[in-house]
Amino acid sequence: MRSLSGLVLTMLLAINCLQADELTQERFDQLLQEVQPAKDAMWRTIPWNISLLDAQRQAVEQRKPIFIWAMDGNPLGCT
Amino acid sequence: MLDRESTFAHPAIAELLKTEFVPVAIDQANQRRQKDTEGVFYRKIAAQSPRNDFEQTTQGFYVADANGRLFFYNNNRDPEKLLRLMRKSLSDFDSNSSAQAAPLTAESVDSRFQQQPPEGGLVLRVHTKVLDGYPPTDDPWRKIFQQAIGRDNLWISDQEHEQLRQGRLAESLLQRIARFHLVDNTRGEPPMWKQDEIRQLECELVDGRLRGKVQLQTADGQRGYEAQLLGELWVRDGSVVRFDLVCLGEFWGQGRFTGGAPEGRFPLAVTFTLADGSDMADAVPPQGARGWLAGYCQQCAQ
Repeated sequence: MRSLSGLVLTMLLAINCLQADELTQERFDQLLQEVQPAKDAMWRTIPWNISLLDAQRQAVEQRKPIFIWAMDGNPLGCT
Repeated sequence: MLDRESTFAHPAIAELLKTEFVPVAIDQANQRRQKDTEGVFYRKIAAQSPRNDFEQTTQGFYVADANGRLFFYNNNRDPEKLLRLMRKSLSDFDSNSSAQAAPLTAESVDSRFQQQPPEGGLVLRVHTKVLDGYPPTDDPWRKIFQQAIGRDNLWISDQEHEQLRQGRLAESLLQRIARFHLVDNTRGEPPMWKQDEIRQLECELVDGRLRGKVQLQTADGQRGYEAQLLGELWVRDGSVVRFDLVCLGEFWGQGRFTGGAPEGRFPLAVTFTLADGSDMADAVPPQGARGWLAGYCQQCAQ
């Protein structure tokens, strides 16, 4: 009975806790590759400036309007 | 996050931005406060939009000319709507008027918001991913969040860089990694860790091999991260040529702007690798340094 209740407890814990793998060398190599944005993602092909003044100067030179993507946090970064 | 995978994943929008516009991506929390040339120009544009209270967020999409005349403001992610507005702005745009505008030079620079990486230091790209734990969904917006990879940069001071060259890991650098970079930023701006939320932080660097463990937890226990660290540091001819670090463990909880986290504990990976300046986001200041570079770098002096 004791072992059965222990098994149930273990199963309940497993339901609420998705365990991370052991960080082996193989997993390390895999994660370095996997946790990267896709290089060919469409938004990355757009030549974003990160300075509004640089964009203004280009707009004068190239006779184009400025498109501003303004977010909370830099949109190329964390948001 | 959503904009990258929806609005700017639209081929027609991307093509227009590449050919007909000068695109710029900014953290408006800076520009709406900046007391300098860039801040004045941004507020001139934003003041013509409904987002003209600079005590509040002014986030969204703006199209303006080089004089600062606003053509439209939009904060809706519907790509088709944005495309219509972009096309209309092109028909309203007067290229002659824009060409006559004076190119702006930075007559003043508000150093609180114009942050540069430490001279002689290093920049590492930081990527974050929730590996499991989300419930299945058919909602395309939720799917974007569930598959998202967060991006930030880690700044390393010249003193810390020098220690790395000598095969040592500065305590200040380790503390900065833990406080500002072991966060779940895959669904928005994350809360950083306070100093006293670092419950355990151990890491040793031996013969270029880095290994450690970390335990982070808020006082109420509602948010935390327990993880292992593994890394490789290669120094060749006195230069750091490789600094890869992986943090893998169980995260739980969420922040005010990172709602929708998986229930309970879930696996979260954070990876670090040297930035070489080839990625457009390499120049973006760390989120933890936002308006507080001294605080972010404070650990440098300790």
